[in-house]
Amino acid sequence: MNLRVVGANLVVSIKSFYREKTAMFFTIAFPIILILVFGSIFMDQDNASFDLYVQDLDHTNSSAHLIETLKLNGKLKITKVDPAVNATEYAKENKANLLLIIPKDYERSFNQRIDTDDPSASVTLTYVYDPSSSSASTKMQILNSVFAVINQEVSGQPPFINTAESSILTKKYRFIDFFIPGIIAMAVMTASLFGTVNLNTELRQKGVIRKLSTTPITRTDWILSNILYQFILAVVSTIAMLLASYAVFKVSLQINAWLPVFIVLDVFAFVGIGMILTRFVKEAQSAAAAANAITFPMMFLSGSFFPIEMMPDFLQTLARILPLYYVNEGLRASMIFVDHTTALRYSAIIGVFAAVVFILGIIATKWEEGK
Amino acid sequence: MMKEAEHVIEVEKLTKRYGDLLAVNDISFNVRKGEVFALLGPNGAGKTTTVEIIDTIRTPTSGRVSLLGLDVTKKKYDIVPRIGVLPQGFSSFDRITVRETLQYYSLLFRVRNTDIDGLIELVNLKEKTKEQYKNLSGGLKQRLGIAIALVNDPEVVFLDEPTTGLDPRARREVWEVLLGLKKKGKTIFLTTHYMEEAELLADTVAIISKGKIIAMGSPGELIESNANYLVLTLQSVDEKAFEIVRKMGFEPVHDNHKNIKIRVEHTDDVRKILNTIKDAGASLLTLDVRKPNLEEVFLKLTGEALREGPAGGREAE
Repeated sequence: MNLRVVGANLVVSIKSFYREKTAMFFTIAFPIILILVFGSIFMDQDNASFDLYVQDLDHTNSSAHLIETLKLNGKLKITKVDPAVNATEYAKENKANLLLIIPKDYERSFNQRIDTDDPSASVTLTYVYDPSSSSASTKMQILNSVFAVINQEVSGQPPFINTAESSILTKKYRFIDFFIPGIIAMAVMTASLFGTVNLNTELRQKGVIRKLSTTPITRTDWILSNILYQFILAVVSTIAMLLASYAVFKVSLQINAWLPVFIVLDVFAFVGIGMILTRFVKEAQSAAAAANAITFPMMFLSGSFFPIEMMPDFLQTLARILPLYYVNEGLRASMIFVDHTTALRYSAIIGVFAAVVFILGIIATKWEEGK
Repeated sequence: MMKEAEHVIEVEKLTKRYGDLLAVNDISFNVRKGEVFALLGPNGAGKTTTVEIIDTIRTPTSGRVSLLGLDVTKKKYDIVPRIGVLPQGFSSFDRITVRETLQYYSLLFRVRNTDIDGLIELVNLKEKTKEQYKNLSGGLKQRLGIAIALVNDPEVVFLDEPTTGLDPRARREVWEVLLGLKKKGKTIFLTTHYMEEAELLADTVAIISKGKIIAMGSPGELIESNANYLVLTLQSVDEKAFEIVRKMGFEPVHDNHKNIKIRVEHTDDVRKILNTIKDAGASLLTLDVRKPNLEEVFLKLTGEALREGPAGGREAE
């Protein structure tokens, strides 16, 4: 092995990458675009506020106080509807999937119940709703639970069952925090696998490898410079993704020593697979198709985009034999949960896998033209 | 007589099989230091297999090949720094410039003071140093390939079909570069299917056909010993000229330009043919008398044309 040779090769690879704008786009810009698009979609879901139309026929201080309570600290966005209009017609015209009617004698009944404790004093609030809308039923459930609390308070008895919440996370955990480690693992996988397959098949097909085999560069020099190049790309791409995530979504991810560990293992595993593929697939185009056949299922089944718990049992079992699953979960264990034991366990699994495929990749890499 | 020590390449009973295909069949030859040795043959004759075994890209099935006194199958890493290779269909990194490419290869050879400017000048690429490889024309790419083959100041240069696929002008430009190398006294091993190339550049030509070397010597020797006749080419507007010549007992043939080609033993025959045609009242547009070339030698030895079709220029009859 000669470091000057490795360095020369590395410089050529980096210059070629820098001058190839498409490669730059797919390696660096594309994962960032994915983060921005998916992040925006799911951030909206995290911060979702529901519209609620309210027709206050009572128009008193008590009804106004109820409406104020229903805002639920901004969770529901209240739109007041003119008491003179027909509620059903209004809901249809304004595409309101839920409209709540507070009846005219709300305050009077409320005072009667509070002052005289008369159990016959009650009011009926009416939901005018679109049964085909799922968000209408969600909103009705929310409102019912609010009304249950009010009823219980009015009855003057303390509740029998109370609930308390305790998060398993030290910080608030949002979908975007789940999403970013998955995208990092996926982007590094794609860049390493496609980078290796494209570089080797293209250079072999063009005859550059044949030319190189008549120079003193060895197979070890070549593989080492390739892995270093892929690692540099992975680091640059990861930094870019993290910067975009912190800047745009203010993610609360922990950066610790596990991040480079998983990046290195991700690179080794998929460069190894790339080298094995290159050995068996001769043409550059079919090599890209073979790489796609590996990365595509891996992307969707190993939990890069969504938790594998959402999938049927047999797919969950399948996910657990995919190497990317261990990179995804290892990165999440370290970046979200700061769980060193799990990170260690997953790094050991992907580490063994990476070592095996990388050694097979080295054996499969054929430097001399033919026997 | 040349001493054995002056042979930089020694090939002995070399055979290469690809499954059932016998690509190279028990060939032997030597290449002297400082000479330009051309392996001439049609596509599929075994030229590239032979040169790629000698320059360590491939391994032989059997036989012995020594390059610079070293066994090519055992001493690849001792041999490689001492040779320069332009492989068939040479290509380089698309987005790397001419100068960067030469610097890269010089680093691979661990040469500290390669005269990059000198090489650029030698292959006449001074105007293109900042051009990326993908933007070079075919001829310029080949010239860069030749410069790369020289970055380590090699003792032997292998050029596998250096002008294949180039237009005539680009081919001549490459020949000029190769003539410059020849002047410098480099040992050059060349494969080609262009007989003009072999005739122009080579000191020794080995004609290879179907994996066998069928003749070897200087171009002059090969022509002298295998084609001791003259070729008379006539361009006539009259079809009867062809018949007249045939009736005289010669064997005229039409080439692909509809010219009549006649093989004659003596200059007297030329005179006889011209007089007979004139007496018969047939007219001639042009005539040409020349000695045969390697292409005709090849045809005589193998019974097949060196190149197929008119693209190759003159076609053997």
